This record gives sequence, structure tokens and C-alpha cells, in this order.
Amino acid sequence: MFALIDCNNFYAACERLFEPRLEGVPVGVLSNNDGCVIARSEEFKALDIPMGIPTHKIEPHLRRRIVLKSSNYTLYGDLSARVQQVLAQQVPTLEPYSIDECFLDLRGMREDWHALGATLVRSVQRRVGLPVSIGIAPTRTLAKLANRQAKTQPTRPQVCVWRSADAPDLTAHLNRLSPRDVWGVGERLNARLAGMGIVTAAALRETPDSVLRRRFSVVLARTAAELNGQACLAMGDLETPRRSILCSRSFGQPLRDRASLAGALRHHCQRAGEKLRRDAMQASAIGVYMRTNPHHAGSFHQACEWAALPFPSADTQQLNRAAQHLLARLWQPAAYQKLGVMLTELTPRRQSQTTLFDGAEPARQEALMHAWDAIRARYGRQALTLGPQPADAPWQMNSAYRSACYTTRWDELPRARAR
Amino acid sequence: MSMTPIALAASTSAPASSDILPRGASGFPSPADDYREAPLDLHRHLVRRPASTFFMHLEGDDHRHAGLYHGDLLVIDRAISPRPGHWLVAVIDGELSVLRLERREAQLYLAPSRPGLATLPFETDDDRLWGVICYAIHALPATGDEPAEPTCSR
Repeated sequence: MFALIDCNNFYAACERLFEPRLEGVPVGVLSNNDGCVIARSEEFKALDIPMGIPTHKIEPHLRRRIVLKSSNYTLYGDLSARVQQVLAQQVPTLEPYSIDECFLDLRGMREDWHALGATLVRSVQRRVGLPVSIGIAPTRTLAKLANRQAKTQPTRPQVCVWRSADAPDLTAHLNRLSPRDVWGVGERLNARLAGMGIVTAAALRETPDSVLRRRFSVVLARTAAELNGQACLAMGDLETPRRSILCSRSFGQPLRDRASLAGALRHHCQRAGEKLRRDAMQASAIGVYMRTNPHHAGSFHQACEWAALPFPSADTQQLNRAAQHLLARLWQPAAYQKLGVMLTELTPRRQSQTTLFDGAEPARQEALMHAWDAIRARYGRQALTLGPQPADAPWQMNSAYRSACYTTRWDELPRARAR
Repeated sequence: MSMTPIALAASTSAPASSDILPRGASGFPSPADDYREAPLDLHRHLVRRPASTFFMHLEGDDHRHAGLYHGDLLVIDRAISPRPGHWLVAVIDGELSVLRLERREAQLYLAPSRPGLATLPFETDDDRLWGVICYAIHALPATGDEPAEPTCSR
């Protein structure tokens, strides 16, 4: 069995944890440089202010009723790490999927799944203070759907368990679900499936494997198999271009020295940057994840941290600088088995970013990345690779409504009033 | 301002390499090596569960009678179950507030120190609970008077 744990309205929940007066108030979180709305609380969604709306286009009468916050990835990253720590104490294998989502591999555990799910949800709520929901199912793809289903439950803890792929309530659910809502099936695939008359997730999983392989891809065939309860997708197999990019790899031999890890990280940043540019996207935040082998004797170590990019970027060099900076903070002596880079808050690429705080020239960087991609496409991936990058410019950005870094800076601790 | 998070375990890292004495040029290991222990780490002592431990500053002097002063550094562990006699951070009127948990005839109350404030009935699984305070660190007047320890230069 697999589980997907997802923090409900994560950014807004992080803001509320230290500013409880925001409970019940519509809270919106802004992109880097306060450009547009990237996260909304339930109350904010209820006002029909769309995701991605430029901040200055929010109508004044609505503006008075809401609270806007600059994104505070220092705070979100710290709380995200705490959620992972709490979970890691209770389940053997955990794979962070994005800043607010985590897959748990429950294979080998024999549990009352409902009880386990409720315990995990309660312990995160109590220990870290963030509301989470959990979906548990035989495959990652189904667990993701189960999580969405859990979120619709009015009562806490929000837990949804599908013991097997042929559970009647699951079948009913898949009959109502569009293929586009299945993990890894994007808008484009959805349109092609619709052209073949496949308009529900149930129809997708009933389509013969050979047809999917021939007309689409092995990956879509695997997605269908996952909907049938056959676990065959690993974390890196699917890309979810609208939300996040993950580039990670297990090493054949455990890596101990920092220089090798830095090299692996450069490699991942290179791939992540290329994926971004191929999809014409840019990322606002980057995470680095590393762990030792959980199946080996000895102490298991894993670490994950996030940082905001100074401005949304698809520039490999920019990504790598941020990632190396995180590695330097995360690294401690251990035999690492896996290292990954995560990019999140992906937005469509705009041509000219105003970069008041950046010394680099965006147009030239863009041309450089263009040339970079062209050279590698023409002469092969080994023809040009990213060398060592000195960490330089401090990471700064415009954030007029940023909350304090309540958990990471002595001079920004919250204050509690004596009563 | 810098936007990079600080690792949760930053202060639980291994001792710096300068702490480790080289086995001298003499070639003999020091007989004291067998008795070496890690230096006392106050952070580890005060923070047993990093994932659920948070710091705050106390604002206001209403709890002075109990030895809690304005500006004290509070160490809060959300993993602790509240019991009578505990000091809590609770959300009262949308504000992080510090009160004492008391029991009177089988009923739990949040007991304020400030005159004129009512005691508030409290349930064991109360939504207003934020966390239990396990330490209050209070600075005395001498804090920080002397210059920092000089660094050894060879």
C-alpha cells in the first residue's frame, strides 16, 4: 500500500500557525516580488478570486476583505521539513513529492489502514500544527486520487482508504472522474483520449494495455495499470508540468564525499532546467532532498530543504547556484544513496522579467540558455555540461507583506502575550 | 534579506574539527582519549523533539509572580500533552497567549494572571491549545557584558 499525505492549503496554514487571527479570514499568498496570487485559503477561494490573478487587478472592494501575504519559503520550508520528520518517525519510507506533499511507501506494514491514517494526520496536526489529509491505496496513482477524495470529507481526520482497486466506491469514483484528473495525464493526453471516446478514468483503466502502448506510451499504459491496482510507477516516471518538477536518482554506489554530491546535483539541475525550458515554464522555489539507504543497517539519515529563487527562473545556472547553496547547508557525513532536486510554483515563462535586484542581464542569460540547449541538442549531452558554480549573489527579493521567519531567526520569533 | 532556510538540526551537528585533538607528533594516543565525551550541548538538552519544538518570546509582565518575565525566551514542545500545572501557549481572541492550566474539581481551566480576566474552561482536546511551554529562559543583567571568547590562533 501507498499513501499520499498533503497539507491542506499549505502556505495559508503556515501563515495562520503563527498569526491565529487569520483563522477564518480569506488569506492569499503572493508569488515572488508580490506579482500574483499563487495560493489561497478556502475562504479566499470562496470569493472567486482566481489563482494567478495579478495582485494589482484584485478589485478594491475585495482587497479590503482579504489578507495578502508575500511568500515566505523560509518558513514554509522549515515547516515542511518538520512534517516530514514527524512522518518519518512513524513509517519506514517517505518520499517528498513537493513542498506540501509526501508519498509514503507502506509495503511491509500490516496495519489497520484507517487507524494508521488517522494517527498520522493527528500527529502532524498536533506536533507541527498543520492540517493534512491522507489517501491510502494499493498504488501511488490511486493514493493520489484517494487523497483528493479525503479532502472532500467534512470531518477530521480526513482519511480515505481504498483497500483494493476493485472496491465498489472506488469504481463509482472513477466512473465520475475525467482522465485529466489522474496523476500524469495532462490536458493534451486528455484531449487525445477523448477523441477515442475515453472520457472517464474508469474507461482509461479498462482500455487494453496494448492499445495504450501502441497509441500513446508505456507510461500511460502504466498509469492505467496503476488504476487497476498494479504498482508500477516510481517517483521519477511521471512529470507534472503544471505543479512541480522532480529530478532525482539513486546512486549505484553510496556517495560519501561532498564534491561527488555537488556533481550529481549539477547534473540534476541541468536536467531540471531543461525540463522547465522545454515546457516553457519557470520555477519560483527549489528544494534539495538527500537520503541514505533505508534498507541498510546503521543510522538512516535524510534531509530536505527549500529556498526561494530571487525571481522566477528557468536558468540552469540560477537553479544550480540555489541548489548548491542548499547542499552546503544540508550535507553531513553519511553514505548517501539518493539525491534529488525539486522545483515548484511553476508558472508560464514570461519573456522579460524585471529584475531590480539582480545583476545579471536577463536577455543575455536567456540567449545563453538558448545556445546551451541548442548545442546539447546538436552535439550531444556530453558536449556541454555545467561546471562548478561559485555561490555568489545573496538571494533577495521583493516581499512587502512577508511574515516573519518565525522558526529560523532569533530576531523574528513570535511573541506570546501573558494573560 | 536572505531567504534560505536554516536546517532544523543546525545546532545538533557534529563538533567542529578544531575540537578534535590530533594524535600528537609523538605517535602516542593520549590516554585521555578513552574518556573523551561530546561537549554539553544546551540546545540538545532543551530541544528533545526538534520537529515539534518552537521558540517564542513572552510579552508582558503579568506572570512575574511565577518567575516568567517580559522578554523571556519560551521553549514550546507541541508533542507534550497538557496537564494541570503546565504553562500553555493558547490562542485566545486570535492571539498567542500564555496561561496556566489548572484543575478545579475535575474541570480544567486556563487561569490568567492578569486581574479582571475570567478563567476559561478547557477541554483535553481543546482547539485553542497551541503548545506546552517546557522552559522559560530568562536573561540576567550580566548577559553579554564580556567580549566573546577569543579565538585561538596558531
